[in-house]
Amino acid sequence: MEKASNSFSGGRKYRNNDITVYWKPDACVHASYCYRELIEVFDPGRRPWVDMNGAETDRIIEVVNMCPTEALTWKWNDEERNKGISKDQTNHVIFRRPELLGTMEQAVQENPVSVKIMTDGPIVIKGDFTFQYGGNKKEFKEGIISLCRCGTGYHLPFCDGTHRKIGFEDK
Amino acid sequence: MSNMETNTEKKPVTLVEVIDDGPLKITGNIIIKDLKRDVTESPSEVYLCRCGRSEKKPYCDCSHKK
Repeated sequence: MEKASNSFSGGRKYRNNDITVYWKPDACVHASYCYRELIEVFDPGRRPWVDMNGAETDRIIEVVNMCPTEALTWKWNDEERNKGISKDQTNHVIFRRPELLGTMEQAVQENPVSVKIMTDGPIVIKGDFTFQYGGNKKEFKEGIISLCRCGTGYHLPFCDGTHRKIGFEDK
Repeated sequence: MSNMETNTEKKPVTLVEVIDDGPLKITGNIIIKDLKRDVTESPSEVYLCRCGRSEKKPYCDCSHKK
């Protein structure tokens, strides 16, 4: 049932001999795992910002899997190798973007909401929670939001990556 | 009578609230991981700094008012 697709709408793809990494900018919440872990491959200040020659394939996979959204995902170039591999292993659709959650009918889990204070970066909140901002309330189920901690973003209260430009240091 | 569990549309117990010109207030069932300080905790209520000026990051110390 595998269907080859050469086009990739919604983003760009980068490949080495082993894998292809897919980048969907709209899904990024600036959690910053990628460049903190592997600046040799993921350098936001470089164009193109992904250099697949910057590290071994295993290491690239490891860091792509850290991405809390599906902004970064990967696949083996050899389709045979993708068979039997779970979506979690390729970082596909573990958490969905908030805008896509409206129609999701999923049982609320008892799991606690994860609040991650990123190193010199935003607050990344994942799970089932109610978000209240400016008098509006919105319920998230398996949602993810990234909130500014440096106070200088252009899309407050959300993170837009400005902390990196101003050199925000959490100390 | 029927208990609350029969309600299939359970509301999230955790509330994430952006306080205008103030901190982020989170109440409910959470696990906070501070990656830089390698601290993990589960408070039932917490106020996190949003202005970048707190001396007690990631927590609010009301520096935003200064």
